[in-house]
Amino acid sequence: MKKKFLAVLLSASMAAIVLAGCGGSDSGSTSDQGAADAAAGSEAENADAQSGDEAGADDSAQADQAADAQTDAGEEAKGAGDAIVTEPTELTYIFADGDEGAKASMNEIVEKFNETYPDITVTIEPGNGGAYSEFIKTKDSVGEFPDVMEMRDTAMYVRAGKLEPLPDDIVALFRTTTEFDGKVYTAPFGGENTNGIIYNKTYFDENGWTEPATYDEFITLCQNIKDKGDMAPLVVGGQDIWHMGFWFHKAYNDQVLSKDADFIKHCYEGTKDFSDETFKATFEELQTIMQYAQEGWVSTPDAQITTFLVNDMAAMMYSGTHMFSQIAQADPEFEMGWFAIPSPDGKTRLVGGGGAGGLAISAESAKDPNKKAAAEEFIRFFYAPENYKTYCETLSAIPSTVADPGLDVLDVFQEVIDANASADDLAPMWNGRVGENELPPDFRNFTYKTLIEVLQGTRDIDSACEELNKTWQVSSESFNPVTGVGIE
Amino acid sequence: MNQNNSSGKKFDKTAFAFIAPAFIFFTLFIIVPTVSSVYYSFTSWDGISPNVKFIGLANYKEIFTSARFGNALKNTVILTVFISIFENSIALGLALIVDNVRWGKNFFRSAFYIPVLISGIVSGFIWKIMYNYNFGTFNAILGNLGLDGWKQDWLGNSALTLLMIGVVLIWKGAGYYMIIYLASLQSVSTDLIEAAQIDGASPFQRFKAITLPLISGAFTINLTLSLINGLKVFDQINVMTDGGPGFTSETLVYLLYKVGFNEGRQGFGTAVGIMLLFIIIILNTIQQKFLRSREVQM
Repeated sequence: MKKKFLAVLLSASMAAIVLAGCGGSDSGSTSDQGAADAAAGSEAENADAQSGDEAGADDSAQADQAADAQTDAGEEAKGAGDAIVTEPTELTYIFADGDEGAKASMNEIVEKFNETYPDITVTIEPGNGGAYSEFIKTKDSVGEFPDVMEMRDTAMYVRAGKLEPLPDDIVALFRTTTEFDGKVYTAPFGGENTNGIIYNKTYFDENGWTEPATYDEFITLCQNIKDKGDMAPLVVGGQDIWHMGFWFHKAYNDQVLSKDADFIKHCYEGTKDFSDETFKATFEELQTIMQYAQEGWVSTPDAQITTFLVNDMAAMMYSGTHMFSQIAQADPEFEMGWFAIPSPDGKTRLVGGGGAGGLAISAESAKDPNKKAAAEEFIRFFYAPENYKTYCETLSAIPSTVADPGLDVLDVFQEVIDANASADDLAPMWNGRVGENELPPDFRNFTYKTLIEVLQGTRDIDSACEELNKTWQVSSESFNPVTGVGIE
Repeated sequence: MNQNNSSGKKFDKTAFAFIAPAFIFFTLFIIVPTVSSVYYSFTSWDGISPNVKFIGLANYKEIFTSARFGNALKNTVILTVFISIFENSIALGLALIVDNVRWGKNFFRSAFYIPVLISGIVSGFIWKIMYNYNFGTFNAILGNLGLDGWKQDWLGNSALTLLMIGVVLIWKGAGYYMIIYLASLQSVSTDLIEAAQIDGASPFQRFKAITLPLISGAFTINLTLSLINGLKVFDQINVMTDGGPGFTSETLVYLLYKVGFNEGRQGFGTAVGIMLLFIIIILNTIQQKFLRSREVQM
């Protein structure tokens, strides 16, 4: 009897150990973090995680002033540390460091800042690569929320009162920012990461193929490459569900947002649901496109797609501008081209504009006037043209500042910038919108996973829509920005 | 030093002093979070906000109606049963080999045990690379053998994913259980074996009638451990599939982690954790009842 009791006690305590890891905020669970997404290119996730702008603030007069001030920031800053803080001040800074380019450019800027401001020391702490959002949550839960950070789930942290509003002069540095009740909490790192097709230009030229002008031409092109049989038309990193988000948003934008920009709001109101024909058409469009993906796309991580492209295993990839530098590093001789996939209705819809993500200051840290001043100065310094140029060029980021950092960029990147200027529609990712179109926290991943089931044929579209409706029902009971549930 | 308390039992201050640090740490880091988890499971806490809203049984209601939880439970049960059976079978086989091999006993014992020393994360990465459709070892071997038609998307094919994860878990865990079986095998009296041999029992009869009953204690321990470990599988799934494709390899612990830490639903995540706690207790109680009744005491 004693043995039985001990055995049950043992198993219960082991189960409790599992449970303890997910318990209160005093139980840090970090053992798994090293694993999560370690192989994934986190900058791409960054692009996906960046949020949209519903309430862009663009005061041109203020912006011009800011731009002028910004241009001189570097010179004025020299030796200005004493004027910023009253005593030596240390700041902790965390960003998503999974991407080597991000790491290198951040290190460079921070080193320069520390040299310029002797009384302020910014210390970069490891950002845990790809699983960044979870990492920041964990840091917060163990009381190690950084002073300055790259913020992704801005709405959630603003609602939790964790972030400090940015002063007007910093807000004025940007073309667009995202407001929450009239306040701006993040300085956008760049314009939303515009997705498009990056292709093997040499291969296209050899076969006499040109960039498609319509959606049908794009599908024909994929079919031609497939028929030729020497490489896959498309490489898709389906193992990383955020990569699937690039594709999902493209089709969702084509089929749903093009007809109802407030679809999510209407779902909250109950006037629409995910059995809507437009939503079903999203799945159908993706079913058409994914038949041209490489074999094994479901288990291919995003980090491997560059390998496919530069090794002539696939002709095209659909991703953001951050891939340009990765491709150039993988094979400096590789000649790449870029085009946007036209929508079936002939329009060009791109992910673009500013987002809700970016550099943010901890509200807790800002209670210390020195830390607040130092953190704000760091942000001003980061976005000074000569410093911001380093960041944008390394990551092929579209500048978000009013002042032109004067980028020296690849031709393909210039094409993206031009396409942003001429697109019929620029919108943030569907999961990056705030306000009444903000998604419940768990809905994005659920949708992508359901999408994969549809694309694999393990679930039909009707059943997938039904499942999404059920999940939406549950999620919107605890989070509904239209009624205010879960917002307060 | 020793004092008698009211019930007549001695209160040993020295013993208490030795126990106290472990007791305090265990209470702070296991008991308190566990108890607070029960509270959080009745809330809609997102894991960040200081405002914790009590929502009663809503999380539990969702658990019982959620297809995702049902799917995770099904996957957990399949994986647990699969690895409990095969991990123990293979471990016992390995233990018998090591026990009976005439030379290189230490080498084989070490070789079979090495995977246990590799972390779950690292083993997940290693196998993930080997399973890779385009660059992986298995498909490369099949390709070199001219068996291109046999190539599989080992982790991308929904029908194979759980099986492939199970293989990794068995590879990693079997060595540990082997050691327990081996210790038990070595405690079986050679007198009994020799007596049976003299009586003309075949090797299989000796194993079935003597060895197996005498190592049933090891079975109880190993099946208990493999059951608990099966229910707790996390590392390999996190690294190899992220619960996918779709929801194919999402287990209860992984669901708990994803909704709690990734999807901002700590309240729901802890409710899943509480359910898992009860599932482990119930399954283990049943298992203990069944296995203990079969043990033979020497």
